[in-house]
Amino acid sequence: MLVYDPSTNPLNNNDWAFPLLEILHIAGFAFSIGTIAIVDLKLLGIGMRNQSSAQLLKDTMPWTLVGLAVMLMTGPLIFSSDPNMYLRNESFRFKMGALLIAILYNYTIHRKVAKSNPSGALGVVVGGVSLLLWVSVVFAGLFIAFV
Amino acid sequence: MTLLAIFQWLQSTEVATALRESSWVYPIVMATHLSGMALFGGMILITDMRLLGLVMRGSTVSDVVGGLRPWKHFGLLLTATCGIFLALSKAEFYYHNPFFWCKLALFLLVIVHALVFRNSVYRNTAAIDRAPVIPANAKVAACLSLALWLGIVSFGRLIGYYEIKP
Repeated sequence: MLVYDPSTNPLNNNDWAFPLLEILHIAGFAFSIGTIAIVDLKLLGIGMRNQSSAQLLKDTMPWTLVGLAVMLMTGPLIFSSDPNMYLRNESFRFKMGALLIAILYNYTIHRKVAKSNPSGALGVVVGGVSLLLWVSVVFAGLFIAFV
Repeated sequence: MTLLAIFQWLQSTEVATALRESSWVYPIVMATHLSGMALFGGMILITDMRLLGLVMRGSTVSDVVGGLRPWKHFGLLLTATCGIFLALSKAEFYYHNPFFWCKLALFLLVIVHALVFRNSVYRNTAAIDRAPVIPANAKVAACLSLALWLGIVSFGRLIGYYEIKP
């Protein structure tokens, strides 16, 4: 029978591996969430004045993707350090749900609406939901260590 | 009064004690610290990468740097306020923590960076837009800024890994 023993994971046998992954994870989400926030703030009508949301989306999209890629590479590695703990952790499970919704939302509704340069209520709702989703991902991630 | 005594006193204040002993407020402040970091990080990233000519080249440097500035400031204010409270709540631990002092040293360098480049680069974007190519000092400022903030994030995370040897 194959049983995964986390103590054999190189991550758990090096003092620096885990914090380094976490630092990259933080930098990754700052890239992705920060760039998404630039579009969201524009949709909310409180962001940059001289660019349209479609323009901001187009400009920030590659860097959002870079951030997401870093997040999605470091996250599973962090998870691999202690899978059973994470799977049992309610905050982790909530985070995975919120993350899935946030990513799907970002590349469907959010993208479509930002491209259409909405004015008023539609932009406010779509930008607001996006910010809420991503902030809930950050909060749930941090609370993994506290529940 | 020694510096250690000051840190011990800070930790013993009512607000620091309440924060340290609360099971929910402490992680909420920490999560807000992280959320502020996401906002601030994104703004710094785009600001500095525009100075490097890597992003939003269809918009002027003035538009990008000026447009992101209020949110950059807001993100920094949010992150710093939460960070100060987190440090106060465990001030004595921070006093003994070399990563905390490394982080503070980098903050001093951030201030030096601002003194050197604020007027010549970040508040001088109209001139940068008029220049045929982005001036070297703007690119140096951007690289240093990105490196400093990445260092600050790194030392910040490492603070949590330091153990005081008995």
